[in-house]
Amino acid sequence: MTAKEEKERIELLQGTLDLLILRTLLLGPAHGHAIAKAIEFNSDDVLQVEQGSLYPALHRLIKRGWISFEEGTSENNRRAKFYRLTAKGRKQLTLETGKWDKLAGAIARILRPAKQGGKS
Amino acid sequence: MSHRKRVLEDLDQDIRDHIEKETQDNIERGMPPEEARYAAVRKFGNVTRVKEETREVWSFVWVEQLWQDIRYGLRMLTKSPGFAAVAILTLALGIGANTAIFSLIDSVMLHALPVENPSQLVLLKWGARNAPNIHGYHTSGDCPMNVMPGANPYGCSFSEPMFREIAQTNVFAATTAFANSGRLNLTGNGPATVTNGQLVSGDFFRTMGLKAAAGRLFDAADDKPSAAPVAVLNYGYWQSAFGGSRDVIGRTLELNNVPFTIIGVVEQRFTGITPGSDYDVWLPLSDGQRITDPMFWRNRSSDVGDWWLTIIGRLKPETPVAQAQAAVSGLFRNEMLHGAVPLFHGGESPMRTGASAGRGVVSNRTFQGAMPPPAGGNGPASARALVQQAPGSPVQARREAGSAPMPQSAGNRPIIMPAPQEATLAGPHPSEMGSEPKTLSSAADNPQVTLVPAQSGLTGARTQYSNPLYVLMLAVGIILLIACANVAGLMLARAAARQKEMAVRLALGAGRARVVRQLLTESVMLSVLGGALGILFAYWAAHAIISFVSSNQTRPLGFATGVDLRVLGFTVTITLLTGILFGIAPTFRSVRVNLTPALKDGEGSSASSGHVGRKWFSIGNALVVAQVALAIVVLVGAGLLVRTLQNLRSIDVGFDSHNILVFGIDPTLIGYKGPQVDAFYRDLQERLAETPGVKSASYSVLPLLSDRLGIMGFHWPGTPQDQRSDADALAVGPNFFATMHIPFLAGRDFNASDYMVSAANSGMIPTSARTPVIVNQAFVQKYLGKENPLGKQFGEADAAENHPALSGYEIIGVVRDAKYNSLRREIHAMIYTPQSAGGASFELRTAADPQALLPAIREVVAQVNTNLPLFDVKTESEQIDRLLFQERLVARLSGFFGLLALVLACVGLYGLLSFEVSRRTREIGIRMALGAQSESVLKLVLRQGIVLAIVGAAVGIGVALGVTRYLSAMLYDVHANDPLTIIAVAVLLTLVALAACYIPARRATRVDPLVALRYE
Repeated sequence: MTAKEEKERIELLQGTLDLLILRTLLLGPAHGHAIAKAIEFNSDDVLQVEQGSLYPALHRLIKRGWISFEEGTSENNRRAKFYRLTAKGRKQLTLETGKWDKLAGAIARILRPAKQGGKS
Repeated sequence: MSHRKRVLEDLDQDIRDHIEKETQDNIERGMPPEEARYAAVRKFGNVTRVKEETREVWSFVWVEQLWQDIRYGLRMLTKSPGFAAVAILTLALGIGANTAIFSLIDSVMLHALPVENPSQLVLLKWGARNAPNIHGYHTSGDCPMNVMPGANPYGCSFSEPMFREIAQTNVFAATTAFANSGRLNLTGNGPATVTNGQLVSGDFFRTMGLKAAAGRLFDAADDKPSAAPVAVLNYGYWQSAFGGSRDVIGRTLELNNVPFTIIGVVEQRFTGITPGSDYDVWLPLSDGQRITDPMFWRNRSSDVGDWWLTIIGRLKPETPVAQAQAAVSGLFRNEMLHGAVPLFHGGESPMRTGASAGRGVVSNRTFQGAMPPPAGGNGPASARALVQQAPGSPVQARREAGSAPMPQSAGNRPIIMPAPQEATLAGPHPSEMGSEPKTLSSAADNPQVTLVPAQSGLTGARTQYSNPLYVLMLAVGIILLIACANVAGLMLARAAARQKEMAVRLALGAGRARVVRQLLTESVMLSVLGGALGILFAYWAAHAIISFVSSNQTRPLGFATGVDLRVLGFTVTITLLTGILFGIAPTFRSVRVNLTPALKDGEGSSASSGHVGRKWFSIGNALVVAQVALAIVVLVGAGLLVRTLQNLRSIDVGFDSHNILVFGIDPTLIGYKGPQVDAFYRDLQERLAETPGVKSASYSVLPLLSDRLGIMGFHWPGTPQDQRSDADALAVGPNFFATMHIPFLAGRDFNASDYMVSAANSGMIPTSARTPVIVNQAFVQKYLGKENPLGKQFGEADAAENHPALSGYEIIGVVRDAKYNSLRREIHAMIYTPQSAGGASFELRTAADPQALLPAIREVVAQVNTNLPLFDVKTESEQIDRLLFQERLVARLSGFFGLLALVLACVGLYGLLSFEVSRRTREIGIRMALGAQSESVLKLVLRQGIVLAIVGAAVGIGVALGVTRYLSAMLYDVHANDPLTIIAVAVLLTLVALAACYIPARRATRVDPLVALRYE
């Protein structure tokens, strides 16, 4: 990892990690490492998760009842926890996604005119 | 819970697996294994923090962490026991002193009344724009009062008819009234004793919601004039006087020669309703007449113009206070505006016969003036005797207060008021005397009653103690601040020493908040340990103070003290606050550490001393300055109070107070009348004077310097007819001046014929001869100037207008000024009269220690009458000590706290300098290696200490100059900004500070350069 690589990566906004985890689990149960990888991969490596921070987030979601977990065996035949989206989590994901869209849209609307103004 | 357990159980494993997988991925991407693992770990982040944060999700974490912190903190404390000991002791002293004083304040000022639902009880308090037209006003010292004319008088004494009227209406769920019974001569249980009781209405115990510990309590039937006299005992008195025996129920005691049957004992918690006053026995109101001289009782039960009862009501839950108040106030107003005052109540009493009708009035006025107590102990007498016994009346006022544990003042308060105010109370003006009956008040005066919570309204002895207690509270509050600053300084030094540790923890990924919490836990832990020790200290201190207070009392103190929940709550609160207060500053400093240099440097490095040590405005220096300044404030206050005590002690009282034994005796309580009393005194005086060891004996109606005072009114020739003049007055027995060593400046002492004239004039058959009097220098100065006082005659107060037949007075001698009731009160114009009848206090001038003579003296008294107990037995020096009790208490405690503050501040200074020296060891070593003399090293360290002490002293003096004026009321003959005290305190502090600085400075000079340079 070079300094340049790090510069291109974006740190996650507070609270968005939960959203990303929920979205990732929509595709099916996964273990911790797989979730981290999936987030990195699906964002074309732009989003850099400090992988450790995944765990408090996962536990937070379990506590809220949005995900559940079960013991299973990973690809390399080791015992691992597989996290699964619950019905409650699914609902929450829809809600949060809607919120996020609104937020992103609003920010975009604010930022875009400013850019145009700057050009003209 | 199990969920949490299950999910957390494998966290370590999960994380390990995670990192392994990442490593595997990296290897698959072609990284060498070492690098792959490193990258994986880096990418994962701080494992410990992740674990902690994850656990935190499951909340209970903080408990675990707290436990961790505590264990760690304990380890740290045991590692540096010296630091821990100093810190904990300092805190224990600070917290303990506060807890002790607070527990006193709590018991004296805040304690709930020892009754059921005290919040429902209300005290009736009257107020008006002008004094009501009454002819008797008595207070038992239950609440503050002001009956000076014109100035919105108020009080809480009411007439008995008023009480009965209120009790009959249904305003309250229950209503009761009470008053002090006066001195009770108790026989029928071993040797005769003098005890104190309270007259209470039949509903008293029901209103208070109290139960009997044995037998039964009063009911309404007991409070009927026809009912047989009964008594209820105080639990403590029952235990001490009767051994708690149940057989006592039904037994008969004689109180003032009246047989009373004991019907019960009240439950233990109740010793009296008014704070600080407790009573041995309770008697029904209706029995008051039986135990009190009719002369003093008059028609109290039916007289609307004689106010003597304190009234308490229990509110009905459904009646708002305002509604009850409106109802009661309406009744009061109605009585005040429409009830007539029968004048000359004295007329029905035996001595109102013949020419003395008018004298009854005189006596009335005098009594009103002096605010006598409800029950009289003074024998029958006519005008003059009464005038002279006006001094006697305070005896009773005092006695009522005497029932209170703080006898000196509660009841005496009113009596200490300046004479003219006392003398003019209420009673009809001379010009109105004998005119048509008139109403008690007018609509324009707006008489009304307010209901105040009994808890705050019944102040009793509380008022007397509130000022000193608050001053002490302030002093211990400052001590606590000093202790906090002190420990903060210590913590700061430690934090600096632990900089490297903190840096390591932060570098290893500890959250800053987590480190702050750890440090705060440690400081709170210190304060909790200090607080625990402080409670022990407080317990001991409170008991020491109480026993000091009690040593001054003839009776045990009526305040229950002890560590109760409220006190514990207070202690816990200040302990936690303290911990946070002194913990917070060092904490923030240590987490602001710049990691790199802190890690590189060794502990106590020269780099940090370069940064912090030379900065004059460092927190450490500021804390020391603050401590010194606060100590100066406490010391100056203490110094002023100690000087006040010294000044009072060295006052010239005007007589020789050494080797004088004083005791009270009152034959009128067991039925001696008029001439019998005088004969008894004369006989006793002679017998006492002949007792071996006694040089001379005399008596007076009051002992000197007993905080009791009598005042008489008279008419001075040349003043308007209706103008009344006043002077302090004391009736004395033969040989009084010789016994007390009060020298005559002119004229002569009273002789036998003077006493005969006085007895006659105050008895049934007045003579035309003028009563001889002796006056003091102040009297001569005020009334006579250069005129020759001997032979000067003057009239009685009301004689001019109504009773020209009254014989008046003639001055036969002038004596040197002497203090009368108190040391603080300046000497007023004073008249000594020949005593006839009434209670008396004997004074014996002894050759050696007066106490040793006591058994012989008791025997002499017993020879005359076995049923006459001595009371208030003490030496004149003890009397003075007692008078100065409050000053002694405050001087002693504040002196102790002042020294404590000084020591703490110096420990702080010492701690700071020691720390500086140890931190600068290397610097000092270099200096010495480069040739610095030990003298200059000594100066280097001393300079810092002295500068800090002087800056602190300057700040402290500035603050002291601003705040000591609040002490003014407690000072005597010393200005609140007394330069001598301030300078003395500053010098004392500087010297002690110098000593505190010298020890570390000496240590600095012993630094071995070779060792110091290798110090890392």
